[in-house]
Amino acid sequence: MIKAGQIDKGTALLIKGQPFVCIDREFVNPGKGSAFVRLKLKSPSTGQTLSETMKSQDNAEDIQVSDRDSQYLYNDGENFHFMLTDTFEQIEVPMATFPDYEFLMKDGETYRCTFWEEQILDIQIPPKVIFFVAEAEEAVKGDTVQGATKYITTETGLKVRVPIFIKQGEKIRVNTETKEYLERVNN
Amino acid sequence: MREAALYRSKLYAEVRSFFNQRDYVEVDTPSLSLDLIPEPTIENFGTRFDNEFIGSTDLYLIPSPEVYMKKLIAMGFGSVYQLSHCFRNSEQIGKIHNPEFSMLEYYTMGADEQDSIGITEELFAHIAPRNGVDHLRPPFAHLTVEEAMKRYANIDLDQHQSQRTLALEARKLGLQVPEEKESWEETFNRIFLTFVEPNLPQDKPLVLDRYPAQIDCLAKRDGNYRKRWEMYIGGVEVANCYDEERNPEVVRSYYRKEYAKLVQKRTETGSVIPDADPDFADIFKNFPQCSGVAIGMDRLLMLLMGKTDLRGVILFPLSGMLGSGKNCNI
Repeated sequence: MIKAGQIDKGTALLIKGQPFVCIDREFVNPGKGSAFVRLKLKSPSTGQTLSETMKSQDNAEDIQVSDRDSQYLYNDGENFHFMLTDTFEQIEVPMATFPDYEFLMKDGETYRCTFWEEQILDIQIPPKVIFFVAEAEEAVKGDTVQGATKYITTETGLKVRVPIFIKQGEKIRVNTETKEYLERVNN
Repeated sequence: MREAALYRSKLYAEVRSFFNQRDYVEVDTPSLSLDLIPEPTIENFGTRFDNEFIGSTDLYLIPSPEVYMKKLIAMGFGSVYQLSHCFRNSEQIGKIHNPEFSMLEYYTMGADEQDSIGITEELFAHIAPRNGVDHLRPPFAHLTVEEAMKRYANIDLDQHQSQRTLALEARKLGLQVPEEKESWEETFNRIFLTFVEPNLPQDKPLVLDRYPAQIDCLAKRDGNYRKRWEMYIGGVEVANCYDEERNPEVVRSYYRKEYAKLVQKRTETGSVIPDADPDFADIFKNFPQCSGVAIGMDRLLMLLMGKTDLRGVILFPLSGMLGSGKNCNI
């Protein structure tokens, strides 16, 4: 059991027998009232989100999770397919649960995943990842406006706004949360 | 940051011109206080004055300037206003919370909480720039808590004055109310925060009027409700208003009851227990009819500037100084 006030982003809970992961929490102190917490929860199996308002002192059922390395194999348009690196067992995760992750994960790469029983609750994408610039528009000659930018596409299909000097075939570091360009990476 | 500073300076100048034209006295009262009004739900900051000859005294940072402003009113100051810094501990740090915040508090003599709606509308008409902030312009929308509970949760509060029946209604709505005893206010807020607050109209400033009497405070009681309103703008709580309680016996009993609750709760949690002045109720032996309004100025400034986050409005928000720590809700 855990007090609702201690639930944080990433905490896994069991609600009516189903696992949910907290994706947002906000403390609310209604005018002259007791402390409450508003939780936004997501079901890892369906991607469905749920809002719960609880008193900070209420008990919630938290679940024990473990981290395991899993190799990302491919997606079939509906599910991500992973292989556990320790048992070679294959596991599917609905893509709808992790929107945009298809553009952030690289085929064959190993990711740390949060598991509850045999179910993936979270895929931990590193906060900064190096991507290969697969497609880039040519910079327009004579375009010297300061701070000018253009879009490139990475090998994973992610579109990123970058400074105009970035060329196809180069590598860049990207903030995976905001999907913003951070810097060019030299080989 | 510079834009925010200039905007605040302009807003404060407009607030001052509004109240000065209407003969309110601007006052400046202490932030460090020997005692506070007991409010069990507002956590406090405690500190200490130390002097090797005089000794040490516990002091508390004010959560609002109410104690001192009411003392001035009792002395016969007439209508007063103040722009001050206030401090509330343990609340979230983030988009719309900072433990130190700016408050405008004004008390109008001879007025009740309904008059304060009109005064606040005039204030908003005075401070809202001509363009761009239509959602802040008066007239305000008006709804009572009783109407809102009927409209959004289908609950008739007058029929559910006991916690037991209110909890049954809450469970019918699918809420998990634990079997252990809780107060009527707690059950009410479960319903209010889940079904009512997120659905309140947001196109205009909304006066949510007549709070339940069970939520104890220093606003006059009127049957099952209190002569108190809160104002929401775009879903954010911005102001709170009372028809101020003037009966010394009612204030004395509020102090006794709420202080006992505060001590019990904070002894359990280990948080700061401020002193309360046992003689505070005496100032109400000769206290004029008046209504007080408190407005969170950082939030108001945020809304006037068309922003949704206090960071960028407050120059050095605590969340920024702490980095992106765990307690920050970004």
